[in-house]
Amino acid sequence: MLPRVRRSIRSKFLLVVLVATFSALAVAGTALLVYDLRTYRQQWIDDLLTQAEILGRASAPALAFDDPKSAHDNLALLKARPGIRTGIIYNARGKPVARYGDDTQAPGLPESDGVRVQGSELVVFKRIVENDEIVGTVYLRAHHELMPRLIDYLSILGVVMVLSLGVAAAMSMWLQAALTRPILAVTRAAREVMERRDFSLRVHKNTEDEVGYLVDAFNAMLAELGRRAEALEASNRSLANEMAERERADDELRTLNVELEHRVADRTAQFEAANKELEGFSYSVSHDLRAPLRGVVGFAEALLEDHADELSTEAQRKLGVVRHEGHRMGVLINDLLAFSRLGRKAVQRGELDMAALVRSTWSGLASEREDRPVELQVGSLPAASGDRVLLGQVWVNLLSNAVKFSRGRSRPQIWVDAISDTKEVIYFVRDNGAGFNPTYQDKLFGVFQRLHDANEFPGTGVGLALVQRIVNRHGGRVWAEGAVDKGATFYFSLPKEAMDGTV
Amino acid sequence: MDAVTPTRPARLRLRALVWAGLTGLLIGSGVECRAQAEPAAGEHAVKAAFLYRFAGYVDWPASAFAGAAAPLTIGVVGAEPLRTELQEVVRGRVVADRSVEVRKLAPGEPLAGVHILFLGRAEAGRVGALRSWLQDAPVLIVTEADGALAQGSMINFVVLDRRVRFEIALDAAEKHGLRLSSRLLAVAQKVTGGTP
Repeated sequence: MLPRVRRSIRSKFLLVVLVATFSALAVAGTALLVYDLRTYRQQWIDDLLTQAEILGRASAPALAFDDPKSAHDNLALLKARPGIRTGIIYNARGKPVARYGDDTQAPGLPESDGVRVQGSELVVFKRIVENDEIVGTVYLRAHHELMPRLIDYLSILGVVMVLSLGVAAAMSMWLQAALTRPILAVTRAAREVMERRDFSLRVHKNTEDEVGYLVDAFNAMLAELGRRAEALEASNRSLANEMAERERADDELRTLNVELEHRVADRTAQFEAANKELEGFSYSVSHDLRAPLRGVVGFAEALLEDHADELSTEAQRKLGVVRHEGHRMGVLINDLLAFSRLGRKAVQRGELDMAALVRSTWSGLASEREDRPVELQVGSLPAASGDRVLLGQVWVNLLSNAVKFSRGRSRPQIWVDAISDTKEVIYFVRDNGAGFNPTYQDKLFGVFQRLHDANEFPGTGVGLALVQRIVNRHGGRVWAEGAVDKGATFYFSLPKEAMDGTV
Repeated sequence: MDAVTPTRPARLRLRALVWAGLTGLLIGSGVECRAQAEPAAGEHAVKAAFLYRFAGYVDWPASAFAGAAAPLTIGVVGAEPLRTELQEVVRGRVVADRSVEVRKLAPGEPLAGVHILFLGRAEAGRVGALRSWLQDAPVLIVTEADGALAQGSMINFVVLDRRVRFEIALDAAEKHGLRLSSRLLAVAQKVTGGTP
């Protein structure tokens, strides 16, 4: 029974109705029974007392006038009451005057007024008072018929209960059919939905009460679920498509990247090869040019020293020009060799005290300013990380440039200082010399680019190109500011975190 | 039919109503078992007690008493032993809120204030003169002579089966304005006259 009750609403409903009916009937029946039995007993007691009283009143004259026969006749009337088993009338002296019924248990002497229950029997003693005088006592003993009444009552209750439970069960079955049918329909539909995943199912609504509302809500929920499932599926499909497309695009991109990398690598290799070829070419050209040049210069000098007597002054002067131009060409070739070497040489990094480097460079340039003094002011220069030889070359070029272009000034001055921020240190060399036309600023750092006449300011035109190349290889930049006759300032920056850049 | 005197407590009056039904059944249930016998010992005592008890079952008209506190008087003619006995019986007794007195009477003596008159056996001859003596006075006449009822007695003692019984002449009592309780009639050995 219990597992069935747990599974089915119908059984629960029936059980509730039956239990409720049974409880109500049991409580009501018990209450009625208790009340009735109490009332019944009290009625019995009252009845017996009344009988005793009547008997007493009727028998008072018989006792007063000593007429036992009359008393006996009175007692004989108790025949009408079969419940009363024994009746005795005592006179004032306590002697039994008249007896009725079974008097085997009768007391010899009357007791005081009162009602007593002896098992299933009621015993009553009642004084007979006449003219304020006790003339005797009535004794009655009655069977207290509680048990038969109880049994009657219980059997009636049992019959009523069986009938009521039957009616209640029938009524509840009839009612619950109306109540549970829609619920069962919902349950069935829910089970089918769970098993078949079919959200198109609907429950037929045949009631307008809460269950009807439940059916509506269930149907609405099913519809909503169906819509959601469809939307989810559609979105899943489009998502899958998108994923495939993206993967395809990724693949293409990857292929393209690989291709590009290959191409870049190819080009780089080609460039490097070409560069190397070019450098090798320029190196060998410069190197190979030096040997014949040395011959030209050497023989020009030998002519001047060994055959000076045989040469006219004019010939000597012209031979001097040959020697001088040969020297100049040697310097030019050396510069070109240094520049092309720079492409091959690795940068040897180390901690550098820039101020010391500037000072030693300055003293190395003493021969260039021996004809005239040049004033140099050096600010506080932060240390740098770089190649001592290469950065020394930068200072040599910049300082000799400054000396060279400030030569015409009555009081040539050169300032060296630095500005630093979080990322880099910018060093600069300023002079008060000839300056340059800012229009041609971008040509300053090209190889063999000259802004001045070679006679006025001698040089090869390689120096600043070399400076740019060295600074670039240290990860820095070079630039210049200036105007004609207003002096020039050359800047170069070095990153604080040294990068191992290659050009 | 109401046996209750007006002065009885109300409680008893109610019970009397219930009782009335039963009494109807009892009336006439007396069994005849008449037998002649010698007067039993202590017969006087029994009769004296009965005399006193009769008072409780009889209603006198209000005019019979001088006032609310007037005693109920039992007059005894002759029957000296019985009177002595009666004197003892009534001592301290009260009937319907009245004290009870016993008075010795000579025949022909005025009956003013007497409520019960007992004629002893010795005075049986005087029963015939009762009517002239009593006039219409409300006095209950009690005798102990055979056939006294016919001569004007109201209650007459008889001895049956060695027991003291009595017979009642209802019409005689009613003629004198006395009302006898039906309960008294129920235990009477015989009731004559009247419509019970």
